[in-house]
Amino acid sequence: MEGTTTGREALSAALRKPAARRAKGPQSRRLWPFLLPSALVAFFILIYPLAYAFYLSLFNYYLDTGASTFVGFANYTALFADTRFWGALTRTIGIVLAAVGLEFCIGLAVAYGLYRLTFGVRGLNLLMFLPHIITPVVAALFLKWIFAGRWGLLDSLLASLGVFGPDWLGNPFWARVTVVLADAWQFTPFMILVLFAGLNTVDQSQIEAAQIDGASGRQILFRIMLPSISPIIAFVLTMRMMDAFRYFDTIYVLTGGGPGTATETLTMQTYALAFRLFQIGKASALGVVTLLIVLVFASIIVATVGRRKGHSR
Amino acid sequence: MAAVHLSGINKRFGETHVIRGVDIDIDDGMFCVLVGPSGCGKSTLLRMVAGLEAIDEGEISIGGSVVNDRPPKQRDIAMVFQNYALYPHMTVRENMSFALDLAKRPKAEIEQQVKRAADILGLVPYLDRYPRQLSGGQRQRVAMGRAIVRDPQVFLFDEPLSNLDAKLRVQMRAEIRELHQRLKATSIYVTHDQTEAMTMADKIVVLKEGVVEQAGGPLQLYDRPANTFVAGFIGSPAMNLMAGVARASGGAMQVDLGHGSSLPLPADACADDGQAVLYGVRPEHFTPGASGLPVEVVVVEPTGADTQLYCRFAGHEVVAAIRERAEYRTGDRIALMPDLRRSHLFDAASGRRLVA
Repeated sequence: MEGTTTGREALSAALRKPAARRAKGPQSRRLWPFLLPSALVAFFILIYPLAYAFYLSLFNYYLDTGASTFVGFANYTALFADTRFWGALTRTIGIVLAAVGLEFCIGLAVAYGLYRLTFGVRGLNLLMFLPHIITPVVAALFLKWIFAGRWGLLDSLLASLGVFGPDWLGNPFWARVTVVLADAWQFTPFMILVLFAGLNTVDQSQIEAAQIDGASGRQILFRIMLPSISPIIAFVLTMRMMDAFRYFDTIYVLTGGGPGTATETLTMQTYALAFRLFQIGKASALGVVTLLIVLVFASIIVATVGRRKGHSR
Repeated sequence: MAAVHLSGINKRFGETHVIRGVDIDIDDGMFCVLVGPSGCGKSTLLRMVAGLEAIDEGEISIGGSVVNDRPPKQRDIAMVFQNYALYPHMTVRENMSFALDLAKRPKAEIEQQVKRAADILGLVPYLDRYPRQLSGGQRQRVAMGRAIVRDPQVFLFDEPLSNLDAKLRVQMRAEIRELHQRLKATSIYVTHDQTEAMTMADKIVVLKEGVVEQAGGPLQLYDRPANTFVAGFIGSPAMNLMAGVARASGGAMQVDLGHGSSLPLPADACADDGQAVLYGVRPEHFTPGASGLPVEVVVVEPTGADTQLYCRFAGHEVVAAIRERAEYRTGDRIALMPDLRRSHLFDAASGRRLVA
């Protein structure tokens, strides 16, 4: 009996929907003008620059001479033929995955710790958020002092323990590690904050039900809490991933993309193309390509992590 | 199945003493309802049995062994929560099999248990749906199914019907009761609704401010409330409690209700001369007639089955539920005679029942 009622209800709801939309039509059309101001702002600060960047990417445009010739997609084909681009791309993806992965793991561990903590959470939270408040360039300068070879804080500390530390910024491998650690140092607090807030939204009685069902703390975290905050996880991962793809300021100060091109990310390469080589067209093409790559990654995250089973989206 | 015993239970939240020396004995297979106004500690008590709340003092035993220091999963209990607490990202099937899955039971057994519970509760067509695709009543049933598959020693219900509409509540009430008769599992059920308590319980425990006011069968509580709190809490509309003074006159004791009206003592009651008392009469135990309390009708509420008369006399507000169809109008002056065999007398100071 129950089944037929719900079936009938669903059917009538389905039949009702288009009618309701039709009824809403004229009214929503009248409301359009109210969107205009924000649409104009969005157009001029979002769509226009983007379209202009794409437009520029179709030209061979040199900033120094001002010479500009239409070349179609030649900038793109040149880019894809350039090994430096592929190097920067793999490096960027590596740095993004390592940094965001590290931030998520530490962030989750600390957030869960804070969640289980019964007192002092507020103070700890504030303290941990400090690195995130500091301006990136200042933070980078500060980190440079820590990671500097031989006389830097980290190497000095290691030396006092009798360990001869690596040249954090001079060795290609360690330079990449340093860049990842620097990003993690700055952005893990953000991760902690969001995940901590997320964990606190999980319905307490679900956790208690799981306790009664016989779940251990770890099982509750991984099988109840994380799935139920998956939209929040998707949000924070996407945010951080997009940020990390744009990662520039700290690298610029710490290593300048070096040694060689060891830490040259897509944004570093874009910067070099535009303001070192003045190839605005090619730089624009790289910018557009970066945007598309980020879009692909964001969609993957939203489709996998953000898919919240049993919840309407 | 198992008996549950609570003895000398105390619980404090900081300065607040929420449970004060509670003793409750629940026999094997019994359906026990903890009832009381909000803040009386009934849910806390249930959570203590579940192991979700620590016990400050006292002992809780399930099936003969003290479980004070055991975590919830080792108490062999299942709990149905007020908001159902279904896992939103799992289907009905996954929700129901979660506990067995964690216990690493064989797949075939899990499948069979889930099937059995789904059959009992009529959930078979919904096994692959997610909780949000279900109605309130169906979610309620899934929550019960989750409890049933585990085949626990004790079922705990924390106000499981309060999120349902009135009609569904009555239906689910009967379903839970039927389920209990079928499974014969010891059940502890928390509610603030005295009708739920009366209709479902083998034993009712009335709580107030962390103290057991009275425990017993539904009719025992209805017929012989131990104090004015229980008298007022059990039964709807609530019992009329009229303040008066016991007076000896001509060998028999009478209760003087003021303004020249008085009533003889209820059948089994006794009182000292001059003692301040509360005279208790349930609305359904008033009969309109030639003699009795002279009252003035203030409001007439016909419910169909009976007619409720809100009356006033000598400063008392009195409610009477009259079975016979009769035309009453506001302002009518009638006489209401209480059924002395079913009336009650309480000490005005302590609120305690006065028995001969």
